[in-house]
Amino acid sequence: MLTELVPGDPAAANLGQRAIGDPAAVQAFREHYGLDKPLPVQYGLYLQHLVTGDLGESEQSHRPVRTDLSEYVPATAELAITSILIAYVLGITLGVVAAVRRNRLTDQLLRVISLSGISMPTFWLALVALYVFFFKLGWVPGSGRLDPGLLPAAHVTGLYTVDALLSGQFDVMANAFHHLILPAFVLAAYNIGLLTRFTRSAVLEVINNDYVLAARAKGLPERTVVLRHVLRAALPPIITVGGLAFANVMTGTVLVESIFSWPGIGQYAFHSATTLDLPAIMGVSLFVAVVYIVVNFTVDILYGVVDPRIRVA
Amino acid sequence: MSVQPVPLRFRVGFRRRPGTLGSAWRQPLAIAGMVLAGLWLIVVIFVPLIAPYDPLAQSSQLFSEPSTAHLFGTDELGRDVFSRVLWGSRLSLPLAFFLVVMAVVVGAVLGGLAGYFGGWVDEVIMRSTDLVFAFPTIILAMAVTAALGPSLRNAVLAVLVVFWPSYARVVRGLVMSLGEADYVSASRLLGASSRRALLVDVLPNVAGPVMVLATLDLGNAVLLLAGLSFLGLGAQPPTPEWGSMVNTGTQFFQRWWMGTFPGFAILSVVLAFNFLGDSLRDALDPRSSWAVQGRDR
Repeated sequence: MLTELVPGDPAAANLGQRAIGDPAAVQAFREHYGLDKPLPVQYGLYLQHLVTGDLGESEQSHRPVRTDLSEYVPATAELAITSILIAYVLGITLGVVAAVRRNRLTDQLLRVISLSGISMPTFWLALVALYVFFFKLGWVPGSGRLDPGLLPAAHVTGLYTVDALLSGQFDVMANAFHHLILPAFVLAAYNIGLLTRFTRSAVLEVINNDYVLAARAKGLPERTVVLRHVLRAALPPIITVGGLAFANVMTGTVLVESIFSWPGIGQYAFHSATTLDLPAIMGVSLFVAVVYIVVNFTVDILYGVVDPRIRVA
Repeated sequence: MSVQPVPLRFRVGFRRRPGTLGSAWRQPLAIAGMVLAGLWLIVVIFVPLIAPYDPLAQSSQLFSEPSTAHLFGTDELGRDVFSRVLWGSRLSLPLAFFLVVMAVVVGAVLGGLAGYFGGWVDEVIMRSTDLVFAFPTIILAMAVTAALGPSLRNAVLAVLVVFWPSYARVVRGLVMSLGEADYVSASRLLGASSRRALLVDVLPNVAGPVMVLATLDLGNAVLLLAGLSFLGLGAQPPTPEWGSMVNTGTQFFQRWWMGTFPGFAILSVVLAFNFLGDSLRDALDPRSSWAVQGRDR
């Protein structure tokens, strides 16, 4: 409803200079999108369509917003999942190292590194990484999800790497992965910093407990003590950050996708926002909000799995 | 004028709080943050004297690489990138301060109202904060800016829209717990007036979290504003703004100096605020030493 109250005129934003002078064209546009009806009626219609899963039609692509979303979401999903995996693996590792080496030089160094991670403008990091690894070193392809000559494997999940794996096209899979790696790392930078910090403090909360001392006294190797006894107990708060990490990735995609020409919902959201494509803006916002809720719900369930005390309660 | 003996209770209270803050400034990280922030403050004040060129002056030397004449090179219109980066601080830093102060004020007023009145006022205000928290920051900020029309003023408004709720929550929590906490009751049982309870017992405990949040938000504000300008929704050309300079850098991306240096400016400013905020948190809450609070960009 908020989006209906904005002062911008979608007809002006979508019809172009010449058509806007033509009252008939404006009228037709308004009728087609139901903008001629009173606000409550518009909102009622929107809700009515929404319960049947109809998000309306994009004023830019002239396709149902659902079709648009189903095309762009897998691209972002592939990028976001890879990026979050990278962030969790690196973040937890660095966090544990920092905690074990508490107050030593390594710890201080990691503190500065993790603070840099959360201070870095993502769009700038993307630009610099692209310049160094694509333009100078030529290690990674520049943009898009696949090399121009290649076709994605048969559509199953929409994730190019997974689809290629399922159909056994390993060259396509390798290429898709090659395209994925740099944007995923750039997107992970902020979350790596965040997770390092969370992991460090979570580990420090438990590392001085008596049972850890007992484990050491039994003569267990330090590795086992840290991984099995300490990290296990420190996991719940680390998992809780998942929702936050997801929100960060969604923020990052808007900026990163535009630099890597990644055809995902970040770009879609940006284009619909700048063209005042209201059905598309509403569609993307609703979608992101719903996924956000699902992610947080999953995090809550995982929390119960990891921490038996929650399950009992 | 003779020296008056200070009553005991004031001395005890006095020694407790500044002591914790004092230790914050001795950390290397805090010192690094102070130095960085101080340098930028000097730049903001003395830009006209420091910058070698007019940030808007065009010349025939297009795309020249960094040299002694042009420290950071020149851009597609022959403008000096170094001067533009320095002038960019006059936008980003004051705007970030303005934004955070406004967010604290708006958040405090709305959070105070919600906590004080409760009932439907509380419901309306708290559900609004939920609404803001339900979206990734930049998507909401982007929608707001796009709706109002792309300009620096609207970008600032959009950032304000996404920033106030965290303060509203903190202040609401304070107002509601006011007088309910055991240590406050204890203080009042010992005969403290309500004013003393508020100023001495409650305020210091809220000022800390709000101060930490605000310091970290200074960095977040710089990042978000630059991000919006990068997307073309904030400052418009030819304004020397860091985010939009990085954007121009992506269009001429083989001329690395055009985007790299403005980005370094953003990084160093945000880093300064994060160093300060982090040390401050350490000092105020030693238990959560270098932890991070849940707060996204």
